[in-house]
Amino acid sequence: MDVANLASQLNVGVILPEGIVILTLLTVLIVDIIRGRAANAITPYIAIGGLSASLAALCLQWNIANPVSFLGSFNGDPLSVVFRAIVVLSAAFTILMSIRYVERSGTSLGEFITILLTATLGGMFLCGASELVMIFVALETLSISSYLLTGYMKRDSRSNEAALKYLLIGASSSALFLYGVSLLYGLSGGETQLGAIAANLTAGGQSLGLIMALVFVIAGVAFKISAVPFHQWTPDVYEGSPTPVVAFLSVGSKTAGFALAVRLLVVVFPLLADEWHFVFTVLAMLSMILGNMVALAQTSMKRLLAYSSIGQAGFVMIGLIAGTEVGYASMIFYLLVYLFMNLGGFACVILFSLRTGTDQISEYSGLYHKDPLITLCLSLCLLSLGGIPPLAGFFGKIYLFWAGWQAGLYPLVLVGLVTSVISIYYYIRVVKMMVVREPQEMSDAVKNYPKVSWDAPGLKPLQVGLVISVVATTLVGVASNPVFTLAIDSVENSPALSASLAKAKEKSAIAVLPKDSPSLEVTKVASAKL
Amino acid sequence: MNLAEGVQLVSFIILTVMMLGAALAVVLSPNIVYSAFLLGGVFSAMAGLYLLLNASFVAAAQILVYVGAINVLILFAIMLVNKREDFAPVKYAWTRKIVTAAVCGGLFLLLGTTIITTPWAIDSTAAAGDEAIYILGEHFFTDFLLPFELVSVLLLMALIGAIVLARRDIIPDSSNVVGQDDLKLPEKPRELVSAGADGESS
Repeated sequence: MDVANLASQLNVGVILPEGIVILTLLTVLIVDIIRGRAANAITPYIAIGGLSASLAALCLQWNIANPVSFLGSFNGDPLSVVFRAIVVLSAAFTILMSIRYVERSGTSLGEFITILLTATLGGMFLCGASELVMIFVALETLSISSYLLTGYMKRDSRSNEAALKYLLIGASSSALFLYGVSLLYGLSGGETQLGAIAANLTAGGQSLGLIMALVFVIAGVAFKISAVPFHQWTPDVYEGSPTPVVAFLSVGSKTAGFALAVRLLVVVFPLLADEWHFVFTVLAMLSMILGNMVALAQTSMKRLLAYSSIGQAGFVMIGLIAGTEVGYASMIFYLLVYLFMNLGGFACVILFSLRTGTDQISEYSGLYHKDPLITLCLSLCLLSLGGIPPLAGFFGKIYLFWAGWQAGLYPLVLVGLVTSVISIYYYIRVVKMMVVREPQEMSDAVKNYPKVSWDAPGLKPLQVGLVISVVATTLVGVASNPVFTLAIDSVENSPALSASLAKAKEKSAIAVLPKDSPSLEVTKVASAKL
Repeated sequence: MNLAEGVQLVSFIILTVMMLGAALAVVLSPNIVYSAFLLGGVFSAMAGLYLLLNASFVAAAQILVYVGAINVLILFAIMLVNKREDFAPVKYAWTRKIVTAAVCGGLFLLLGTTIITTPWAIDSTAAAGDEAIYILGEHFFTDFLLPFELVSVLLLMALIGAIVLARRDIIPDSSNVVGQDDLKLPEKPRELVSAGADGESS
């Protein structure tokens, strides 16, 4: 294999967006070293510029002819492009929010951005990785940089505690995942490509080893998307870590986790499809019930959003379990919408804590009289998270529940409906606290609220991020059709999913027919022939 | 059984006994320094098993990385927090040990059954032996190229992260650098760090 031949086989162009992120990361690092503290004025904008360029490169990668690169290590199909775009967007918004926050906390911004960009890189590679070694390395890149970000405020003991907890639980879940993956390697006779593993596993048939591998892999994935009962770390980590980091963890890291779940479970485990669907049904139900119930009792805004993100992950899982084209598409759509509404919410929380220094929900009372903009934006984002009609969250949920209902997941959809009604209660409680209270009922923090100004350095980007996410939250709902078509397109054009889609279609075709219809035999024969 | 197989069997038994004994001692020993040294024994025995499996490169890597780096690091960590303190014996500590033993035994049975009942797809080609290192290098630069390169980014980031966590920030003694209204973030340090002084200190 000569060099030219190898270069053409590697198909390096597919990872151009990741290459741009790596270049940005190095530029930020070098500029920060050369210019010292003065670099803080430009490094965030270099990072945002790099992420935008990467996003543009991702758009150009849509539906390219040959998505498989690096001899099968990485797959740049439209599905991965969508997930990578969500990760990149979440990183860009996080940087917009973090400039003022990190400077005010007295830590250095350059390293923060570098580590955040590395986490983004890990997440992006995880979305497209289609080979076990690549998956594990990307997962670790994402995880280790997340631990570092969590503990970034090293003089705050809560941040240290959060980082240590996250590190210990994360390391053990990585170990479990690695064990499961090594079982897959052994069962398939030494294959690491997902497609080859699936082919070899089908030949071997079902066995106890395969079930063990599935259990361990699910443990690793469920930790990343913080599904109950693997959610124990979430509330403490979210409360202790810096708020911009929480915003990234709740959107970027979770999206990468879902991308991993889709690729690994759907491609490798078609043999055990019923089993993993069942396990995920249980996980989704527990996440929706526990996440939304416990959120009712929270007094801290960050913990409230932590539990709500557990519940939201439960909703997203409905799309994964449905396994149909609409199911996957609605999952992507919801993740995109969730990106805007959740990051918008976090931007408001950051702004409020920058101005008052507190995260307590009770301190928000009467905010409407002092700062109408935050009140409006936070209300819109929270109502959208709850699923109130004209906003994007409502359409996201409708698509998810509709896909679930079509796939016959009636109990799951019913639990989803009931719990989203519960979730509306605790979101509206915050909105009511801000809007309805009379001026004399204001909390101390709001009474001492500083005069609203956007002149301080780093506040303008925060404002831009906030306004963009709120506008997107409102508009994506109204104009949901093109976005949803895009999601459907990405699912249709991804060959990795085609086998599972065909199976789901066959299943639903059989389910739709009346039981005693003679044509049932005909369809079976027809599908066998196909 | 010829001589070679006999030697192999005997060394396998010796290594296994050494590994299991050392591993049990790591867990059960009350003295953490003994545990750390015995852990080195476990790693070395495992390297011996790799040698028996004809994987000499993996064995060398095991010794270098685990015994040479990780175990020494553990010992350093123990020495740095060498605080003598007598802990009051916990009541019913034996119940914990029994529960742990039960859980571990259950896990062992489960994994053992898995290994025995699963039809593994065993590769029948002969082991590469000393050729392994060439094959590994070839893999690194063909189908594992991307993860191999990504690891370099991961290591760079780990390096930066370690510096961020470990560096001592210079704290200016006057707090008048900081405006009073600035001290309101939850993560606010007691004193503001001047980043310019940082670089000079390190």
